[in-house]
Amino acid sequence: MFDRILIANRGEIALRVIRACHELGIETVSVFSEEDRDSLHVKTSDHSVCIGPASPLKSYLNKNAILSAAVLKKVNAIHPGFGFLSENYEFAKMCEDIGIVFIGPSSDVMHQLGQKLKAKSIMNKHGIKTIPGSTQAFNNAEEALQTAEKIGFPVMIKAVSGGGGRGIRIIKSSDNFKNIFNEASHEAKISFNDSSIYIEKFIEDPKHIEFQIMCDKYGNCIHLGERDCSMQRRKQKIIEETPSQIISEEQRNKIGKKITKTLSDIGYQSAGTVEFLYSKGEFYFMEMNTRLQVEHTISEAATNFDIVKEQIKVAADSKLSLKQNEVEFKFHSIECRINAEDPKNNFLPSMGKITNITFPGGPGIRIDSGVYSGYTITPYYDSMIAKIIAYDTTRMKTIAKMIRAINEFHVEGIKTNKEFVLNILMSRGFYDGKYSTNFVENRVLNN
Amino acid sequence: MASIIPNYIKKLFQFKIKKTEIKIDENAFLQCPQCKSMIYQKDIDNNFGICPECENHFRITNKQWVKILLDNEELSPLFEKYKPNDTLNFPGYKDKLKILKKNNIDEAITTYKANINGITVLIGIMNTEFIMGSMGAVVGERITLLFEKGLKENLPVIMVTRSGGARMQEGVISLMQMVKTSAAIKRFSDSGNLYIVVLTNPTTGGVTASFAMLGDIILAEPNALIGFAGPRVIQQTIKQTLPEGFQRSEFLLEKGFIDSIVRRNNLKSKLTNILKIHNYK
Repeated sequence: MFDRILIANRGEIALRVIRACHELGIETVSVFSEEDRDSLHVKTSDHSVCIGPASPLKSYLNKNAILSAAVLKKVNAIHPGFGFLSENYEFAKMCEDIGIVFIGPSSDVMHQLGQKLKAKSIMNKHGIKTIPGSTQAFNNAEEALQTAEKIGFPVMIKAVSGGGGRGIRIIKSSDNFKNIFNEASHEAKISFNDSSIYIEKFIEDPKHIEFQIMCDKYGNCIHLGERDCSMQRRKQKIIEETPSQIISEEQRNKIGKKITKTLSDIGYQSAGTVEFLYSKGEFYFMEMNTRLQVEHTISEAATNFDIVKEQIKVAADSKLSLKQNEVEFKFHSIECRINAEDPKNNFLPSMGKITNITFPGGPGIRIDSGVYSGYTITPYYDSMIAKIIAYDTTRMKTIAKMIRAINEFHVEGIKTNKEFVLNILMSRGFYDGKYSTNFVENRVLNN
Repeated sequence: MASIIPNYIKKLFQFKIKKTEIKIDENAFLQCPQCKSMIYQKDIDNNFGICPECENHFRITNKQWVKILLDNEELSPLFEKYKPNDTLNFPGYKDKLKILKKNNIDEAITTYKANINGITVLIGIMNTEFIMGSMGAVVGERITLLFEKGLKENLPVIMVTRSGGARMQEGVISLMQMVKTSAAIKRFSDSGNLYIVVLTNPTTGGVTASFAMLGDIILAEPNALIGFAGPRVIQQTIKQTLPEGFQRSEFLLEKGFIDSIVRRNNLKSKLTNILKIHNYK
């Protein structure tokens, strides 16, 4: 049991952790930047420490400032939330060295899973498919073609030193492979002064499916089902739902079993998310997030299981309170992220004072937000102002509830993506649940 | 602030209590006195005892000095059989010595025969943990013996100094060490051997007035206080405001008292270069 926990984060997620702590009777210490003096996570916490100026590098990413506050306030444990230092294995290591419990996996396991290739090879070893690709770079079209044929068309070729989408080509068949390869290689040479190219299988119209998992110190590991996070704009998730409409119970059980076995084998502890691309009946492992996620809320709502409280208990050496066969998928659940941004102006962040805000309510609605009437949104941190979560017994009831809730939601003083989200919710493409990660770019924004 | 949940409810939620009590390392962080930022102690240790933010050179232990400068950390000190004692019956000195002995702090100087990048040298490292690194009979004797050994074996001598000066508790005996060490150095120098001094923060009093200023080459760490009387004593005596940076390495370099300022992380390679130039192999 912990007496006091420091939350190394801000905004709604800090508030979420504070709530879990308070319900467990644990005191909280918040840290805040000079800009966040009036934030809810400061006002609701038992103690708070200012750790630096607004710039995250000097405050929420400042390991020394946060940990010296932790030592000063004599906390037992630190909850990192998400973002900031939550996946920084050096920070976790420092906590371990100082004698403060880091609420998350051990620094060692975090480090292993944080390296993309290493994580891929761990998953491969445990029989989990990853996106097939070349293990080496090519300069020669002939050799590259052999590998491409082995991987199977269509393939994506990428400049090793590339970035920003340049030097990427999708090749559908072997017919004109050599021409396109040489062209890309030439472009890479000009752009990055490095002509080498690597090859990866191109996954057409994938869905982003991720599994929420929870493990304790004793090798017990459960999953709380999947989340479909395919509704994205520029890799930023907008709407998430669970369960996904295109995954059968059999698939869920099969992949869930593989993941929990793998994580138990490598000694993973605490909450985590395993992300996959899903296409044509196949799951391809992308990466593992060794932390809590923004959309953990829908898994909580669907299974009526408090992930944050469980994280805290597990960190205090408790055993998992549920076995896999006790996890009940009771509800369908959807989350919408409301951001302070202007969809009509290329989603430009909208800053300023929220003069008035009214949140939706009623049965089956959960709001996680760190803002209030009179709160000022600054350019220093991300633009998400609220997460609206709806849950009900069927998907259609949940969608109806969400549409109702978004209509109730009212903000003055800043612009939000509320209408944009509402449009997606009411679209045919969302209705059948088959949307892929290209949906927003292809079907919403181009219309 | 007490928990908002009443105890009779809280009790129902209590989960398994951790077996081992959580112990926080309260010395994990310190505030750098120069730049005022909070620094992780380990970052200083892994950075030669230098503040990663402002390059302030912290005082480090003798063990750390050995690790930074010498090739081999497992060394047996020279002249260890000479131990301090309270010849003058000075009030409180015996108790001090007893406590230091209990804490395994041997004397204000430790001397070694060791290698620096393969070059054999004799080296003395002073220790502020022992009565501010002050010079008493044993310190003087060990230094003298070190130079005599250097003379006999044709080896260069290096001194890493940090000291408050002569040891008050040994009265005039400690003042005599200034003469004794200086005489030993003179004989050593006449033989044509090399003596390098590394002045670190602080080097003051009788130490500055004797062997610390007699090196053939005098190096200093950045921003080290080096002087005879302390700045406050001088200010009160001459009743004038002292110039900025008074008695600091940079000030002394400008005035020609020292030859070079060397950051601690470059010290080993600098010493190696000097030794090589002087044909030590």
